[in-house]
Amino acid sequence: MTTTVQARGVARSFHSKTSDVTALDGVDLDVDECEVFGVLGPNGAGKTTLIRILSTLLLPTSGHATILGFDVAKEVDKIRPIINMASGAERAGYEFISARGNLWFFSQLYGASKEDFEARVKSLSSRLELEKYIDKKVYELSTGYRQRMTIARAFINDPRVVFMDEPTIALDVMTARKIREFLVGEAKESKRTIFLATHNMAETEAICDRVAIIDRGRILVCETPENLKRIYGRPAHVVEIRPSPPSMSIFTSLPGIKGATSTLDEERGVATVKLVVEDEDAINRVNMALSNAGIRVLSSWRQEPTLEEVFVSLVGRGFAEREHEIAS
Amino acid sequence: MKLRLNLTLWYRTMYSRAWVRVRSTYGEPLWVAVNLAVPLLSSLAMALLYSSTGLSKFAGFAILGGVMLAFWGNVLWSMASQFNWDKEVGIFEIYLISPAPISAVLVGMSLGGILATVPSAALVTIIGWFFFPTPINPSWTVVLLTFVLTLASLYALGMLLSSLYLAYGREAESLNNAIGEAINLLSGLYFPAIGAGSPFPFAVQIVASLIPLTIGMDALRKAVFQTGNVSSVWFDLALLAVMAMVLLFLGDKALKALEERGRRQGTLVVRLK
Amino acid sequence: MRLLKSIVASAWMGWQREMEWTNPILSLFIKTVAPTAAVLSAAIVYWFGSSSAGLFTPERLAYIIVGASIYGQVAAYAYVPTSAIAEGKWSNLYPQVYITPTSSIPYLAGRCLASFADSAPVIVISLFVSYYVSSALFGAVPLIYFSFDSVVMLAGTLIVSLPAALALGYLLGSYSVFVSRFEWALPSYVSGLLMIFSEALFPANVLPYPFSLIPGVLPFTYLMRASRAALIYQSWSLYLTSMGYLALGGTLFLATGVIAFNLAEKLARKRGFIDKKVM
Repeated sequence: MTTTVQARGVARSFHSKTSDVTALDGVDLDVDECEVFGVLGPNGAGKTTLIRILSTLLLPTSGHATILGFDVAKEVDKIRPIINMASGAERAGYEFISARGNLWFFSQLYGASKEDFEARVKSLSSRLELEKYIDKKVYELSTGYRQRMTIARAFINDPRVVFMDEPTIALDVMTARKIREFLVGEAKESKRTIFLATHNMAETEAICDRVAIIDRGRILVCETPENLKRIYGRPAHVVEIRPSPPSMSIFTSLPGIKGATSTLDEERGVATVKLVVEDEDAINRVNMALSNAGIRVLSSWRQEPTLEEVFVSLVGRGFAEREHEIAS
Repeated sequence: MKLRLNLTLWYRTMYSRAWVRVRSTYGEPLWVAVNLAVPLLSSLAMALLYSSTGLSKFAGFAILGGVMLAFWGNVLWSMASQFNWDKEVGIFEIYLISPAPISAVLVGMSLGGILATVPSAALVTIIGWFFFPTPINPSWTVVLLTFVLTLASLYALGMLLSSLYLAYGREAESLNNAIGEAINLLSGLYFPAIGAGSPFPFAVQIVASLIPLTIGMDALRKAVFQTGNVSSVWFDLALLAVMAMVLLFLGDKALKALEERGRRQGTLVVRLK
Repeated sequence: MRLLKSIVASAWMGWQREMEWTNPILSLFIKTVAPTAAVLSAAIVYWFGSSSAGLFTPERLAYIIVGASIYGQVAAYAYVPTSAIAEGKWSNLYPQVYITPTSSIPYLAGRCLASFADSAPVIVISLFVSYYVSSALFGAVPLIYFSFDSVVMLAGTLIVSLPAALALGYLLGSYSVFVSRFEWALPSYVSGLLMIFSEALFPANVLPYPFSLIPGVLPFTYLMRASRAALIYQSWSLYLTSMGYLALGGTLFLATGVIAFNLAEKLARKRGFIDKKVM
């Protein structure tokens, strides 16, 4: 299997008058063709920065990375014809031109001939179920069909490597599913590498062959989703409690608790706390701590490990708590 | 083979970017009406002002100024700030990660902009001349040549500005307003800014002469309203040709330098989330 | 009270948007360049044409400088309601304001007031700079009188023109509520037509009949006349007459504007335009 994306010690810092930020802190990875490779982490973990470096938008501060053996810093002319990119946050497209016109325009940036373009757009619009809307102007398209057009654009030049930054964010379930099916199909049938940055764990589990979990600019672990759950995942003990505790340290200070994450239903005043536990004794300690604090347990149950528990057990906090820390 | 591939890519990029601009305008004919407002009404106001001075023969200057204002407005608002808009919606980064040369994108934007502005400019001419018919005796070949070179240098300036505005981001829009009117004044859109009849001191005229629009307006007035032969405008034409080439070169260099700086500092992609 | 708070908060927000995108002094400088350049362009056109005909007079030069400077302010606040609503639709701010108890009328009022306030120093600076530059360029001093009385009279003119300014805001806002594209079309035409029909650059009799009748019904014409009465003619009778017409016309215009805006929003709500995004 050919290695298409490789990174060794890739680091990136941003300096401003008020602060220095290390967005990536020595990233190593290898990604093969036919692979859907996920980079999973909370907002601010460094996913987008990594994609920007690999797609030649940004230079690394140190380390080096290659796409099909070409250096991202020095050989951009060789890389750009064979890659493409799409983001869920973009509104890329000229509003007064049809979707087909937009796709044609972007195909010309890769020098596509008329015949190649016609073949590509027919295939892509069929697979993304865009045919009925392909000749409508972009401003007439709903969010879902705009995103399908964006995804089609990312494949218009028949790229070897495609970078996807949260491509299904803010999409309805059906459209998101359609796009995921498409991405898997493109990877396996067309031997492409799909490099997917996301914080959607369900999406990662559903389509990624391997997942790199990233936090604070570092890859913590890189494995198949099943192996991640098997090796790092712990069952979660979930409790619904009232009132919400003032801080999570009531749990994380207890022996046997690897990490905790919580959500709050403000209307009911009920907190749902997910605890990654080492053993059954830890659950007893939790119940004792809650009782001592005067917090009532409304219900509790056991949950089989998901990638969220893997993250919590590696980092000690959930995505939400980590994003809050990064933001502050 | 590689040169042929590069030229093909350059041409295809340029053509498609021009097509997008033209298609956007002609696909929505209301754009013509929108783009017509400022040049038409400004030139009519200035023509009326000339009429009120007791010398309406200069009203033609105002109409010509309106025609060029249509193109100059297009340069400022559809070229200079275009890349900032592209950056906001995520198109700019697609240009960057593609193999397409940015110079081809810029030239395509220019050509498309010129073609898209022609209807507005034509309407200003027709309506203006209807209300303020002014005697003219031009050599149309000279007028066309002057017009083409003026546009070439103007749009080359637009390419340079689009590169520079990338460095300023959203502040560029406010700068555009200031720069636009200041250049209208200095370049003498409606009156001679250089040479005989200019109200400006010599030093100001020298500075004004560095602006392509100044030279272009002066040459166009000579070509349309005066003797109209090449001998009266050859120096202006040569100057415009040189300006166009220099500005093109500078624009390309500025963009490459900004791209490299942007890749290093991480400022190439800024998007509102 | 809620109404007043709404207006004040909207004015504050409008001020932030107009002035605080960069250093306020730099912002003021940049805002002044364009109108001052436009005034000087008009002054030079007059000088060039009239000198060639041997008809140049400093009084007429003053007429143009005062009119073009005041017009700069009118042009500035003509765009504010469009920007408030079009940008507001894009950012979701306008629909949010619409569903508040006081809704969008005080919001637009506040935004127009902010624009009015930040363009007032621009007029003063344009006037001064154009006066001195014209004197230097043409070797003739425009007959503008910068005395305490004339400045106070000018300030009074601007204040009394507020209803007309707000009215223009509401009328253009009525249009903006409905558009989902080409939002700048109508304000561009309106500000251009005001340049021709409000005696900004020339008196109404320059226009052919029946177009020469139009300036007489526009409140902005009386804004120009009152400003010139203050700064050039120093005539209290002309000043007070013009101010009277300005106040009356502005009030009627404002009532029309508010009614039109209310109707427009009702219809827009029915047709789903309130939160329809502008491209």
